Amino acid sequence: MSEPPISRGFRGRKPGGPSSRIPPGQHLVSDFPVLSAGPTPETHLKNWRLTLEDGDSPVGEWAWDQFNALPQTEVTVDIHCVTTWSKLDTRWSGVTIDTLLEAAGLTEPPAPFVLAHCDGDYTTNMPAEDLVDGKAMVATHFDGEPLDPEHGGPARLLVPHLYFWKSAKWVRRLQFIDTEQPGFWEELGYHIYGDPWREQRYAGD
Amino acid sequence: MDSFLDGNAAGSRLRELFALDVTAAEIVCDGCGATAEIGAVRDYGGAMGTVLRCAHCDTVILRLTHSPAGLWLDMRGTRRLFVATVAE
Amino acid sequence: MPGIEPLRRLQWMTATVRDVIDETPRVRSLVLDVPEWPGHRAGQHVDVRLTAEDGYQAQRSYSIASASADGTLALTVERIGEGEVSPYLSGEARVGDKFELRGPIGGYFVWTPDLGGPLFLVAGGSGVVPLMAMLRQRAAAKSPAPATLLYSSRSYSDIIYRAELEKLVGQGGGLKVVHTLTRERPAGWDGLARRVDRAMLESVGYPPAEHPRIFVCGPTPLVEAAARNLRDIGHEPHLIKTERFGPTGT
Repeated sequence: MSEPPISRGFRGRKPGGPSSRIPPGQHLVSDFPVLSAGPTPETHLKNWRLTLEDGDSPVGEWAWDQFNALPQTEVTVDIHCVTTWSKLDTRWSGVTIDTLLEAAGLTEPPAPFVLAHCDGDYTTNMPAEDLVDGKAMVATHFDGEPLDPEHGGPARLLVPHLYFWKSAKWVRRLQFIDTEQPGFWEELGYHIYGDPWREQRYAGD
Repeated sequence: MDSFLDGNAAGSRLRELFALDVTAAEIVCDGCGATAEIGAVRDYGGAMGTVLRCAHCDTVILRLTHSPAGLWLDMRGTRRLFVATVAE
Repeated sequence: MPGIEPLRRLQWMTATVRDVIDETPRVRSLVLDVPEWPGHRAGQHVDVRLTAEDGYQAQRSYSIASASADGTLALTVERIGEGEVSPYLSGEARVGDKFELRGPIGGYFVWTPDLGGPLFLVAGGSGVVPLMAMLRQRAAAKSPAPATLLYSSRSYSDIIYRAELEKLVGQGGGLKVVHTLTRERPAGWDGLARRVDRAMLESVGYPPAEHPRIFVCGPTPLVEAAARNLRDIGHEPHLIKTERFGPTGT
């Protein structure tokens, strides 16, 4: 197979920013790209619920006001999308998964894996230990403002140490399960874990 | 405004897999039974892949991703697909 | 419904820029030599792939602007701010430059002269490109099908193919072109000056009883609204074909 012709004058994206903060294959953006797998849901806050489940049994459920009455945490983190954009120093606030577990009366995750369920039949998965010890939250605010619907508002999962498709928008249920189960993209060839620093974009990476 | 294109835009990804051009193919949604041409259906996948959703009920009709290892296709949301052949 | 032919596997072909035409301040056409090009149907598109010296590649889709011919085709590209490929094609590319393309792609949003008319084309901004391919094909085939293009642009200087459209209308082959300008009007403009809406589609287009074949192409909001309005007017859904270019607005 012959080499493709070089397109004179075409240069790829310039790698930007302090390279120690940008994982391999990523580039910096200044805007906040919107990627979704479906239409933006219209959520009526009075109907919104977040549930923690141990298998098929609910262990915690919060309506919007109850959720927002829980201890809130603010974080500033870098985020990395598998489609190669990265954004540094993004500011979020919400309720950490540690706080949710505690509010549900649990000292630790009830099972080793999690499947997150969201509006539009979107799901994603991760090991439960990737959600605890301050590593993850259910975020309701970005940059000090209530989270925009197109960015996952009213509430999204935020797991910044993994590729951003795992920070599932419009999250409704966090289901703790015994066996790892691939979510929406993980079923279709994306990496089951998704560590940007080991460039785990696709299954087999 | 939601960001989506149409099945038409997914044409080349679908062409990588199917021997026939399916952008004019007729599919029946497994969620609600509605019929549509793939080219008219909304593609929400963007850079992640092709995610075609039924215009009536938003059920995911077809998902297609392209990783370095190969192509992945999930068509559980399609009950049936029909492609006409050319009349000679 | 159009028949579907079994197709060869898509192969990347080398395209060499033969001519560069500035259509508007932000839009440029490239006429390409592609020796292996098998011809196409109006409305189809191609994937374009650029390769940098370090091997980095970027790929985007573009509608074909020209009528079908062997060995050559034209693309019309609008410069989109943060894009990787569009600024190159619409700004940097010179005669003699090479890149890859593959196609033709798409069997849904196509018009061939044998389908007849009347033909109602609704364009928003650079959405006019595949519709221009249809009008060029119609002219090349000397098709008797009546055709109307309703074309929404931001301003007079943003109208792509303006002179050529005037010429096609002047040839008297049953083509009508109606412009609407949504942001700025030149002094003395007595044409339409608002976004495409139901009343405009009704007064400019053909009545449902004539069963026009309708093609709408442009930014997603325009296409969504027009398709909805056309169905409300009474046009049959299967006669309305849409191609959405993404969120960029006119």
